[in-house]
Amino acid sequence: MVGSYAMPGWLERLKTDFFARRISHHDLDEIYDAAAKAAIKDQETAGLDIVTDGEPRRDNVVDYFLERLPGVHIDRSSKKFYYDFYDSSVTSKLPTASLGLVRDSQFLRAFTDRATKICITGPHCLTKRLRNQFYPTEEALATDIARVMNLELKALAKAGADIIQIDEPYYSGFPEDVKWGIQALNTLVDGVSAKILLHVCYGNRYGKPSWEGSYRYLFPAVLDAKIQQLTLEFARRGGEDLDLFREFRPPFELGVGVIDVKNDEVETPEMVAQHIRRALEVMPAEKLAVMPDCGCFHLPRDVAFSKLKAMVEGTKTVRREIGS
Amino acid sequence: MNLQLNHLNSKAAAITPMVVEALNQLVDEGHIDAAQFATMQVQLDWVQYKTNFREVVSVTSVGRERDENKVLDMRIDTRQVTAENLRPEMLRALAVLDPVQCAADRVPLEDFKSFRHSIGWEFNKRYWGNLSDWERMTGKGYQEALPGGKSDGNQEEAVMDSVRDFWSLLHDMDKRKQLPAEIFIMEIGVGTGTRCGLFVDLFRKLDARRGTNYYPKLRVLMGDYSLETLDMSRPAVKEHINLCSFLAIDALNPLKTLSFLRHKILYIHSTNMYDNLPDEEIMRRNGEFYYVHMRAYVPMRDAAQISEKFRIPVSEIRATAEKLLAIGPDFAGDRGCGMSFWADLWKAIRLEEKMVAFEDMPDLMLPTGLDVPRLEDILAKVPGDLRFHLSSGALESFVNTIPLLHPRGYLQVQDIFVTDLKEYRVGFHGPGKLDGSIVNWVDGALLKGVAERTGYDLHFAPYKYRKDSKTSVLYTTPRE
Repeated sequence: MVGSYAMPGWLERLKTDFFARRISHHDLDEIYDAAAKAAIKDQETAGLDIVTDGEPRRDNVVDYFLERLPGVHIDRSSKKFYYDFYDSSVTSKLPTASLGLVRDSQFLRAFTDRATKICITGPHCLTKRLRNQFYPTEEALATDIARVMNLELKALAKAGADIIQIDEPYYSGFPEDVKWGIQALNTLVDGVSAKILLHVCYGNRYGKPSWEGSYRYLFPAVLDAKIQQLTLEFARRGGEDLDLFREFRPPFELGVGVIDVKNDEVETPEMVAQHIRRALEVMPAEKLAVMPDCGCFHLPRDVAFSKLKAMVEGTKTVRREIGS
Repeated sequence: MNLQLNHLNSKAAAITPMVVEALNQLVDEGHIDAAQFATMQVQLDWVQYKTNFREVVSVTSVGRERDENKVLDMRIDTRQVTAENLRPEMLRALAVLDPVQCAADRVPLEDFKSFRHSIGWEFNKRYWGNLSDWERMTGKGYQEALPGGKSDGNQEEAVMDSVRDFWSLLHDMDKRKQLPAEIFIMEIGVGTGTRCGLFVDLFRKLDARRGTNYYPKLRVLMGDYSLETLDMSRPAVKEHINLCSFLAIDALNPLKTLSFLRHKILYIHSTNMYDNLPDEEIMRRNGEFYYVHMRAYVPMRDAAQISEKFRIPVSEIRATAEKLLAIGPDFAGDRGCGMSFWADLWKAIRLEEKMVAFEDMPDLMLPTGLDVPRLEDILAKVPGDLRFHLSSGALESFVNTIPLLHPRGYLQVQDIFVTDLKEYRVGFHGPGKLDGSIVNWVDGALLKGVAERTGYDLHFAPYKYRKDSKTSVLYTTPRE
């Protein structure tokens, strides 16, 4: 999984009920736990090797972190719908404090024996959603967010999180930022003893891309990233950019997106296998991970589940072919 | 009794006291009992379409199946009503609440159902498939049948503004090195092709003047469900024919044909297409939701004339209509005769209504993109009784069109929109008849509410290029 699992319509309504004060925070937390357990079970049943909690607690890719980031001002009246972004601002230097993400990781590991992954929205993306009224530059803000969140990542690793994925979807919208974005990322993961993945897509807001283009903009800057895996979307966009991995021979693994999460049509296992075979042309199997293009947040649950099953079946086919 | 005057003009003002007087008499004479009168709703509408599906007076009873005392809803068309026909038409409308009298008064062409599934839309579809036959018969092009006598889509100044906006988008993408190798644009519901031809003409000139060379990269997709209409549109784009593709598409689901262009099209446009897509209505009364089910029928007086003129027994009119829709005007072996029957039948068709409570519909199906909680959210801004269009076809078309948009792309729709649900309280918004087709105002407020959840904000700008135009221009911007 890249991160989120399908967000059920009933949970959307309950989130809205919470905003309307029709249910309590306690009840909502219990509902979240139940939704997370269901998401974990679906991933296990589909046959995934690495699972997430499905991220039902997150309204979107940004607010879950900005709400927890000390020193960030949130205008709680600025949302009409839970999925909207809060209007958030920073007016002074960010203090250091816990974001409370360790509990999510512990919860996940309590309900599965599989390897687990926790996803963290990166400093570049968070910076782009914040009104900066203090720091001299976006880069300075991103670096300070990374400084504060670095402590959280270390706490996660210490608590047993073995795979941490950093999501930076806004790189593709602001390719001119990539150089300092990577530096902020390196500050974020500095000294964190976990496997670090960097996920860069072309956006998945409302289940549609926010930008189009080529991943070429990431290179060579991304080669300096202190990561063990770069995960990119290829199922929707096609495999042309895979050649960048042949051209630049990066030191990290490739997480190859083989499921289009912006389309409700379920792929066949053979379609998945074709994507993997194409990726194997540029990266050996031991350095290749298979996953959806992005989070499954916008897919109906039955579609998301079927897509994951197809992904697992397609992967098994290729594993058989190469004897791994 | 609650009397609501939805549109004030001198005729409506003059007729209103007569309505009250006539109702008073009906109560005195026992045609309406006092309890019914106390809860009765009377709507006086000005139906702006000269030809429409309304009787002078129609009456429906409103309530859930379990309600013992249903409320009477009386609707009066102030365009058709006169001092002379008011009382007899009221009596007639009340009488047909009795099924036996109803059967004697009209020839139904179908059973009750939500309007979007009505046979009326089959007539509409058949009209576009036989457009040239209609134009030959009436001696005028379909655009002349529009209320303004021509389409607002073809005004050069308006099209030029669209061209400038589109060129600016391309130029911005070009500066950011984001311009794709092929620039896809699409017109859905091509009409005569005039608008599309004009757009590409003007674009080519602007592109040449500014030296940007975008024109050769254009890929112009002209989509319509009528092959005949597509063929008729070709001459309008003949200078750009090598850039154009003519595609038979389902306007309700363009994605079905064009899934290979998902997230690729930079500009999608339509003119007066949404207002001609299948639609249905919902009513909220005393906090309860009702689907407005309808059935098309021919009044017995008209049925008798059709029977005599075409030598078809009254009992055979429904089957003959079905044959016409299945085969076309050649069904009778003589196209002229078939067209004449079609025109007479279409002119005569009326719609009878039945209110069905949501709670009495175990298989309630709202259009794509809408569910009851969402509907309630949207309607929360407009408390109280309301009857409004679902614009189901427009919603479905919208939801199945926007996945085609490139992340920087936009949809532009020229149509007749109700942009605030409160407008439904002060006017009748269809359905009306235009020659052989149907026209409905589009519920832009509902569309806007649905669009927000699909990642787009909708904006409605008044059409400023023709005085007194009722057209608005919808355009999308992506939500953050």
